[in-house]
Amino acid sequence: MNIIVCVKAVPDPRVADKLKIDPVTKSLPRLDIPLVINSLDSHALEAALQLKKKYETQITILCMGPPLAGNVVRECLALGADKGILLTDRAFAGADAFATAYTLAKAIEKNGPVDVVFCGMASSDGATEWVGPEIATFLGLPVVTMVREIVEDQGLDWIVNADFQGGYRKVKLKLPAVLTVTRKINQPKALSFSGIIKARSKEITEWNREKLDIPADRVGLKGSPTHVTDMTDLDSRREVEILEGSLQEKVERLVQILCDAGAV
Amino acid sequence: MVDERISVFVIAEQSDGGIQAVSLQLIGKAHELADELDSKVGAILLGNKLSNVAQRLIEAGATQVFLGDADILAPYQAELYTEIIVKLVDEYRPEILLIGSTFMGRELAPLIAARLETGLTAHCIELEINPEGFLEQRIPAYGGMITIICPEKRPQMATVANGVFSKPLLDSSRTGEIISVDIPEDFPLRTLTLEIVKEEVSGISLESAPVIVAGGAGSGDQDGWQQIAELATILNAGFGSTRPAVDAGWAELETMIGQSGKMVNPELYVGIGISGELQHMVGIVGAKTMIAINNDTKAPIFEQVDYGIVEDCRVFVPALVKALKEKKPYLGRTTL
Amino acid sequence: MIDFTFTEEQELFRKAAREFAETKIAPQVQNMEKTNRGWDEVVKELAEAEMFAVTIPVEYGGLGMGYVARMIATEEIARISVATAMMYQVFGLGFEPFIKFGTEEQKKKYLPKFATGEQLATVAVTEPSGGSDPKGCSTRYKKMNGSYILNGRKCFITNSHIADAQVILAVDEENPEAFTTFIVEKGMEGFKPTHEEHKVGMRGCNTGEIEMKNVSVPAENVIGGEGKGLKVAMACIGDVGRGGMVGIAMGLQQACLEAAVKFSNERILYNKPISNLQTIQNKIAEMKIDLEAGRLLGYRAAAMQDKGGRTSNEFAVAKYFTTEAVQKAAKMAVDIHGGYGCMEEFPVTRYLRDSFVVGPSAGTSDIMKVIIARWALS
Repeated sequence: MNIIVCVKAVPDPRVADKLKIDPVTKSLPRLDIPLVINSLDSHALEAALQLKKKYETQITILCMGPPLAGNVVRECLALGADKGILLTDRAFAGADAFATAYTLAKAIEKNGPVDVVFCGMASSDGATEWVGPEIATFLGLPVVTMVREIVEDQGLDWIVNADFQGGYRKVKLKLPAVLTVTRKINQPKALSFSGIIKARSKEITEWNREKLDIPADRVGLKGSPTHVTDMTDLDSRREVEILEGSLQEKVERLVQILCDAGAV
Repeated sequence: MVDERISVFVIAEQSDGGIQAVSLQLIGKAHELADELDSKVGAILLGNKLSNVAQRLIEAGATQVFLGDADILAPYQAELYTEIIVKLVDEYRPEILLIGSTFMGRELAPLIAARLETGLTAHCIELEINPEGFLEQRIPAYGGMITIICPEKRPQMATVANGVFSKPLLDSSRTGEIISVDIPEDFPLRTLTLEIVKEEVSGISLESAPVIVAGGAGSGDQDGWQQIAELATILNAGFGSTRPAVDAGWAELETMIGQSGKMVNPELYVGIGISGELQHMVGIVGAKTMIAINNDTKAPIFEQVDYGIVEDCRVFVPALVKALKEKKPYLGRTTL
Repeated sequence: MIDFTFTEEQELFRKAAREFAETKIAPQVQNMEKTNRGWDEVVKELAEAEMFAVTIPVEYGGLGMGYVARMIATEEIARISVATAMMYQVFGLGFEPFIKFGTEEQKKKYLPKFATGEQLATVAVTEPSGGSDPKGCSTRYKKMNGSYILNGRKCFITNSHIADAQVILAVDEENPEAFTTFIVEKGMEGFKPTHEEHKVGMRGCNTGEIEMKNVSVPAENVIGGEGKGLKVAMACIGDVGRGGMVGIAMGLQQACLEAAVKFSNERILYNKPISNLQTIQNKIAEMKIDLEAGRLLGYRAAAMQDKGGRTSNEFAVAKYFTTEAVQKAAKMAVDIHGGYGCMEEFPVTRYLRDSFVVGPSAGTSDIMKVIIARWALS
């Protein structure tokens, strides 16, 4: 089975809130925030790894990002994927979900026949949830989003459960297909030392726009139908009263406020 | 047959014998936008047993409703819905296409956008027509708000969560047309929704809770989270969360309040260990009293609340719970 | 000259080690502090995470990752639990005689089991009569019919009660200049761990005394050759024992710095966080400087070790520096916490107690200076 896992390298969410719009210049400052694997993509990779335990499988990691994103791809190889493809090119910068999905889809086509494409359902920075379904459309493949459980995975006819309004839906699908997964689907396993050593012999290939043979007006900012035209500061201020005094005094004051508000 | 004046479309969604609240809200907003463009609103509704339901869309402001009412259209089938809608949109060439950020909408919208090769903005909290006639789509990001437009491709697509826009007044005197859509026969489906399984939801529904306690990254750990949960129980409050708390595994995604989560409008909101990121704060609409507990004086939340307490929540919350229990010993003991 | 950056692979090791320590070891800390036990759980976790395989060569079931990797692992574990890191580093010390001086049979017999954690190891040199002066050891052996009879007592031995194989230094009864190291195993008649220590810090780290009463040790359990015991003991302790302490001291120092930074950013006095006060900044700067310097000394020595050289002197410098520094850092961290620095709920109090025990382990600071002076004067 040929599996592709799409992985995004995102700013570490634990420190990412330092990334703020500068109210004067109205742009994002350049900060050295380390890149890590988007947490939902860990679940996507784990889903692929669990299939690897049952069936003969090749797992390829696909990641579009700056050269530093290679560390994230390497980490995925250490977790058990077989090879990695890093799509990196200045031309890819500024891509919206559409251009991103298009570029990824082209890379999947170039890589060869695929049975399943796994994606995390959303990224921690951006969180549009669009990339999975758009990749599917560009590849002419069916997609199921928010998969929480793979019930049947033998052969080409799968059954999955996906989050839906009020509960979940049971979906029958025919491979090849794209699946986007939720956190519920599994518990990603930890990085192991032997995995890191095994990754030494695994290959990461870098492809740029030329290698993918995509015209310049279909990638990055140029290939994005949507553009950001303005960034503004937040505007939801209230007159705040910071409570004073000792811990106990503040507790008592707050109890009073809660009573007055009718909560007690 | 096609009303040339329509340039704003809404993909509406049925729900248990009615229409999803967000669909009506979007028709209301679409009507506003269409007025700016000197045009009208069209709605697309696919599903089954819809005979009484389509009229509501007209009452909300749609001039034409494109109705697909057949057993094969329920439950939602991605490929079939995409096929029908893409055909309609190709025929109509609207300027704008809006979809609610429901489970269905979040899957359907990108499928349609990719087929039409157009732009799509997720979880907008503001939509406006700008002087050039473009749809300005606003979303919170990076501590502020960013405005997005789709200058060339059409339709300009956006998804919006339930509760962002208000429900329009239903005017039963409004007239409109209900048009049946062609449902392709024997359309090959590679994905088939077999059934929808309902699950019991425990706890107080966030959307209707008058008091909401929300916890964020500052809760520290599972123990800290439990303390906040206890506070929520004592106050009979809905217990919400932020994305970091969901990512840390303390809370379920369904409890996340914010731009890509739930929109809430409580009377009283207490944010604990929450820095005040816009993505979360935009989810709280029209709260009368807002309170924040956070140990960082510089946290942005302190500019967005009425009362602020600068303390480590892991020390403050247990003290608060203790004081509340002393004041009203029966607090939190009533089951719902 | 030198590239002072870690390789991408080393950064991944660190990430894996940190995640392991934070998710698997952290939950055990409270229990270890309270009960002065809990080593079974952490040993199990260490084994599962392949921590024991780090320095054991690949051909004997290990990962052959080397000493820089070992230092990274030790540092990350110590940042969460010094007690666990101490046991871990001494297990590694216990493997070293086999790795460096073992015969092919000994390596094949013991190393694979050490690598999986099926068997645990330690080195026992210190005695009531002195640890800093190994020649002063009074545990003695007598050759008898091809075997050796051991008699004596060792104290302050980490992993005394849990090690399956202990490498013990003894002096020839008939020749006070001849020392030999023996593999003494659990279950050998006459050998038993006796008294358990109650240390003020590193609680949950198994430390105690062992006793040998006419223990008969077969000839194949001599390690490194008869009469070569001092060389075996000093090489292992000097390089690996000290190296382990450096890793521990750096990990603890990092924890002290993180706690101090967090507290001083959150504690508000005069309407500002105390991290705005120069006196606090002074302490934090000192901790940071020592950490930067210690890291360079430690990883330089470990890198030399990976190249294959003897590094006892470089490690003596690093050990002295980092263990002294961490004792200062722990006290500064406690001071920054003010009154809270005396409360058990705050980890800094544990860091302070742990730092006391880090000091004399694997050689006191005074002895380190003697060794370093000897190096400089030679």
